Order: sequence, then structure tokens, then C-alpha cells
Amino acid sequence: MELQIERVGKRYSGDKWALRDFSLKMGPGILGLLGPNGAGKTTLMSIIATITRPTEGTLHWNGSELAKDPNAIRTVLGYLPQDFGVYPNLNAVEFLEYLAAVKGLAATAARRRIEELLDLVNLSDVRKRPLGSYSGGMKQRIGIAQALLNDPQLLIVDEPTAGLDPEERVRFRNLLSELSGERIVILSTHIVSDVEATATDIALISQGSLVAHASPEELLRMVEGKVWEWVLPSAELPAARQSYLISNTMHRADGIHARVVAQSPPPQAAPVPPTLEDAYLFCMSRHRAGATI
Amino acid sequence: MNSLHILYQMARADFLERVRRYSFLVTLAFAVYLGYSAYSGQVVLRLGDYRGVYNTAWLSALMTLVTTTFLSLVGFYVVRNSVDRDQQTGVGRILAATPMTRLFYTAAKVASNFAVLSAMVLVLMGAAIIMQLTKGEGAVRIGALIAPFLFVVLPAMAVVAAMAILFETAPILRSGAGNVIYFFVWTALLVAPVQASLPDMAGIGAFMNSMEQTVKAIDPAWKRSFSLSLGGGDFGAAPSRTVLWQGLHWDAQMLLGRILWLGIAVGLTALAAVFFHRFDPAYERGRKRQEARENTPVAETTQLSSAAAPVHLTPLPAQARRSRFGRLVICELRLMLKGRRWWWYAVMAGLIVASAAVADANGRAGVLAAALLWPVLVWSQLGTRENRFDTGALMFSSPDPLRKQLPAMLTAGILFTAAVAAGPAMRDLMAGDGGAIAAWTVGVLFIPTLALALGVWSGTSKTFEAIYTVWWYVGVVNHIRGLDFIGTLPPSRAPLLFIVLTLALAAAAFAGRRARLAYA
Repeated sequence: MELQIERVGKRYSGDKWALRDFSLKMGPGILGLLGPNGAGKTTLMSIIATITRPTEGTLHWNGSELAKDPNAIRTVLGYLPQDFGVYPNLNAVEFLEYLAAVKGLAATAARRRIEELLDLVNLSDVRKRPLGSYSGGMKQRIGIAQALLNDPQLLIVDEPTAGLDPEERVRFRNLLSELSGERIVILSTHIVSDVEATATDIALISQGSLVAHASPEELLRMVEGKVWEWVLPSAELPAARQSYLISNTMHRADGIHARVVAQSPPPQAAPVPPTLEDAYLFCMSRHRAGATI
Repeated sequence: MNSLHILYQMARADFLERVRRYSFLVTLAFAVYLGYSAYSGQVVLRLGDYRGVYNTAWLSALMTLVTTTFLSLVGFYVVRNSVDRDQQTGVGRILAATPMTRLFYTAAKVASNFAVLSAMVLVLMGAAIIMQLTKGEGAVRIGALIAPFLFVVLPAMAVVAAMAILFETAPILRSGAGNVIYFFVWTALLVAPVQASLPDMAGIGAFMNSMEQTVKAIDPAWKRSFSLSLGGGDFGAAPSRTVLWQGLHWDAQMLLGRILWLGIAVGLTALAAVFFHRFDPAYERGRKRQEARENTPVAETTQLSSAAAPVHLTPLPAQARRSRFGRLVICELRLMLKGRRWWWYAVMAGLIVASAAVADANGRAGVLAAALLWPVLVWSQLGTRENRFDTGALMFSSPDPLRKQLPAMLTAGILFTAAVAAGPAMRDLMAGDGGAIAAWTVGVLFIPTLALALGVWSGTSKTFEAIYTVWWYVGVVNHIRGLDFIGTLPPSRAPLLFIVLTLALAAAAFAGRRARLAYA
């Protein structure tokens, strides 16, 4: 099982490239796609999900080229877009039955699968209520259920935990981990902790380019010895921000505890173990400065 | 002053948002088409065997009537999306949280609608000037050219602009049914005041009376006749005689009549404000009480299993991945018919039964016509749902969206149409009337295919609702051959024409969907 993206680019109207010269090879596991707003994550996901055709480059799914055989990927794809709608007059079962038919699933198997998925996303109790009456979080859970309808080998989820409460978020992370064994999961999110908890690989993307592709451990190793805790008076914080990359601050009785990512420590700063968020900020700042990661 | 500034900014933002859309160019193209039709002689204003000398007054009157009659219909459908767009984009919720009053909002929207319609009017006024310069049979009189646009067209456009907002806020009217209802309102607005000798919105009565008096003065034996036709619909020989008509006299009574329509526009704006509920989700559905109860927001389920509980999904067996076209058609049918009230089905069933039971052919044609208008909102969903409900990403990432989903949607539409029109077909089958069955079959294929093609290309249900209603009225109700797509009576049947049209529309629908997909 392999998804190969080769030198893919997408140009929108004018000369605006949302994605440029993007290459990546993926095998089973969870790929966390991290990047700032407008980095090209959603464009990349739309391209993989066959919604958008790239301007240049090729994609291969298990050797089949997407442009020549899009159904090779569509038949094994589960896709949860960042923004999607539902048919408000259908209930959860009817909506999922409809999408199961669209995905080409046999009726009996689809019914069993739908029951299981509604249990999984905790919507069994409201299965007969029109989707128009669902809250945002419940619609998101319906989206998760539809993405898993066909037991996908390739699961693409764009900001999947948006609108979920903390408990559902944890549950969804567990689900992703459970599913990841024999399939490729691409998880795009702004929430670094979601990636930290689940991803086996991380791709950092910025301004349409791949900044880094590494395991979480490799990324953490990049910032090892470069993260410091610095206690300083709150009045000095604005000046400190001008000089250092500060990933977090906390007010304490003795002043501001600032978490600094830097090659050399600020005065009286103590080294602390790095987090993935530190690594992310470090890589992005290096990329903005034009340095290679 | 501050209020006027806010009103101006709100209307300006709405206007700019519209004119920067591709659809605005299409709108202007329609205005250019109307202007060209008038210029090339496809629009004919005649009084029996007479036409006016092509002086400024006559050409200006011609363009004024073209604008107020045709633009008051098409323009309504063009601008009737202003409130809905704020709803769809979410801007409405932001505006609702500001101190803006409801009247302010509807007034700003009416002003924006008016500006869009005025842009189209400007194009048509330009056409009048070009006609005068190239075909004119007298000197150009700028005042006489502009006055009808100023006094007749603009008040009429103000009414259309306000009506469009009322039809976006008032219950029932704001639904898709509003697109159908407006057609009948428009017909009544054009005809009823003229018949009652009252000032009419389009100014037809004023022009007609003045022109008729001029002809009567030179030809006392002349029989009353007045017609305005577009696109070669003016059957018979071209008018052989001319009359010199010098234009309307803008006396106080006439101007009062026009001010009355401006007042009506203001009244409609205020009425729209009464119905406007500031994007309150409780009113957005516009459904009856019971349905509102059914759709009461569901609370988040609280019986969550522990977050730490293991999650497991049974793998799907390989044989589960078998495509079932019939199943997809059933699902499409369910999607088409779900969400209607019980009385909708009762009326539909009543019409189907009545169309089979009525013995008289003319009576049956009448019931069939009614049966073919009732489900217009069902057909108008075809090809537009993905856009309207934002489900495109889910649909178009599924296998074979072009070869399976679109044909399934069309098949469901055809099956539904066959059921709707089943009454007369049963009688025709029993009578062995091959001609009727052929026309019926083609009609059943034509209606959903038209809906699908228009839906796929325009992305909105409004296009089909507007075009179909006009087509239905002209073709099916009046049994006009070449327009009666289902052949309600033997003389109006033209199955060959409509099978060709159906095939062309089906090809257009597939091409439109193909263009929307990254990969077919």
C-alpha cells in the first residue's frame, strides 16, 4: 500500500500557486500534516481526494496513476473535508445509506456498517432525527462516520476534531490509532497535540512547499538542546519577543515563564525537554528565514 | 446623515459583491440581447396595421416597454438572492449582531437590487440611443428619450427590487415556490391595472391609450389593437402603415401614477422588514409548527462512552463492495421526496388520480397541467443539491460520480415524472393512442432532463423554477405546439422536437457535471 506524490503543483487564477513542487511518499500509518493557514494543506488533500486536478505533477496509488484511473483511489478512499454539508431532511441512517450507495456498497453490508459507525460516533440515539437539527459537533461526527463507511484504505481527514468536545476528540484520536495499522491516514490539523498523540509521520508544509517530512522523534531531535525556560519580568516580554522565538508564556508569581526556542540560551534560562510544538515553530521559523531543514 | 452613510455603505458592499460575480456579466448579456433584439427588429410594437414613425418618442417608448415588461420578470429572478447570499455566506449573522434595524437592512438590499437593475436599464437606454442614431426617422430629442426611462422604468424597477426582497423574507414566498408565484404576480401586475384603467407598473396603459388616440385621430375606422412581441412571435405581415406619435405628456396625473408605484416600492420594503427575522435560526427553516418541533435542535448526546474505551470497527468484507445502481436510484428518489409535508403528497396524489379520472380531454389536459406544476420544487433540486448543501466534496470523491451518480439522479427524476403524469398515460394506453403515448414519454424524459441541465450549469434551483414556470404557462397551459413539451392536446404535440431537445439537454447536463469534476 503506497501513495506517491511527485512534484505536484496547483496554480489558481492569476499566478498564485497554492502548492508547488510537492513530493511525498506514504505507506501505512498516520501522516500528520501541519502548517499555517493558507499553507496548501487543504489543496493537497483535495488533490489526493480527486476533487481538484493538479496543474503539474503526478500522483500514484499502488502504482496506478490518479489522472488515468481516479477510481483506483476513489473506491478505497474515505474523505472528511474541512467544510462539508449534509442533506437536512434526511436522518443519519438515510444519509449514510445514500452515501453508501454512492460509494457502491451492497445494501445489507452497508446497513450493518452504518449501525456500527453510529454507535462508534455516539449518534445511535438520534439516528432518526433530521440532520438539519444536528449541532455542529454532531454533523462533524456524521462526517467521520461517512468517511469510514467503505472501510477505506486511504483515509483523509481535514481538521477532523473541529467542533468536537474534548472527550470526543480523545475518542477520535484513539479511533485513528486503531485504524492506522493497515491503512494510510492523512490527518491535517492546526492542533499540534492531535498530531502528537497519533501521527507516525509528520509533514510540515508552508507556502505550498514541503518544509520537512520526518517522524515525531526526528523532529524532536532537531530542537533538542534548543528549548529554554526563561523567567523574566512581564515588562520585558515585548522586547524579548523581538529577539527570541517564544513558543509559550505563563504568568507566575516570580514573573513570566517564557518558553524560548533558540540555538543559544537567553541569560539565566534553563534547558527544558522540547515538545512537537517547539519543533514545529523552530522548523517554520527556519523555513521563513530561508534555511534548509 | 450618518444613517444615509450606513445605508449607502451597506447597499454599496452588496452591489459590489454582485457586480464582481460572473453571473452579473450573464445578466448584462441578457440586457444586451434585449437591446439587440429591439435594434434588429425582433421586438415589434404595433397597433394592428400601424407602427410608429421611428422618432425619439416611439423608439424610447418601445425600449421602455421592453424594459418594464421583460426586465420586470427576468430582473426579479436575477436579483432575488441578496438575503439568501448573506445567509449562505454567514455575513447575515454578523450584520444581525450590529445595531442595524430591520428596515435599514431591507432598504439597503432594495437599493442594491435597484442598482443592479438600473445597470441593465442603462444598457437598454444605450440601445435606444443607438437605434435612434442608426434607424431614427427624426431628430434626436434627449429629453423625450430619457423621460420614459426616468418616470416609467425606474419606478417599475424599484417595485421589482422591493418585491425581490419581500420574496426573500416573507413566509412561503421565500421558498422555491416564490419563484413560481412571482410569475403569476408579474402577469397580474401587467394585465390587471390595464384592464381596470388604473396606472400600471409597466406603463403599458399610458403608452397604449396615448398611441391609440393618435391612430384614432387619423383613422377613425381603426379597430383597437396593441401588441408588443419579442423574438419573432409577432405573427402576420409587418405593419404596413405608420403613425407619427409624439410621446407622452407628463402631466401631474401621470406623474402621480408613477409616484404611486414608488410608494408601493417603499411599502413593499417596509413589509419585507416586518417579515425579516435577522437571520434568527429559529425562522430560517420557514416551516410549520409541527415540523419546527421535529427539527428542534438536538442536544449533544451525553451518554458518551469513556474516551479511554477501546474503539473497534469490523472490517468490511470484500463482497460488500458491489455497486448497485438500483439502490442508488432508490436513494436518489428518497432524497428528492423527503422533507415535504403530508398535504403536499395528498395534493400530488389527488392530481394524479384526477388526471386519470377526468373523462373530457380538455379537462384532463387542465389537470395534467396542474400536476406538472405542483412538483416544480422537486425537479428543481436536480443537479443543484451538491451546491446548495455543500456536499460536492463527498459526492465527487466517490467512485464514478459521472457514470453512476448523475444517471441515477436523472433516472430517479424520470421515474418521479412518470408517476406524476401517470393518470393520462393510463387512459392513453388503454385507448391505444400511440401519438399521445409518444408525446407523454418524451415529456416525461424532457422535464427532469431540463431540470438537471439547468441545475448542473447554474448551480441554483431558481433557474429551472423560473424558466419552467414560464414554459409551462406558455406551452402546456396554452397548448402551443413546439412549446407544449408533454403534448396535452393532439394539435400541440411535437415529440420529435422534444426528443432532440432532451438529448441535447442530457448531453449538456453531463458536460456540465464533467466540467465540475477534476476527473470524470
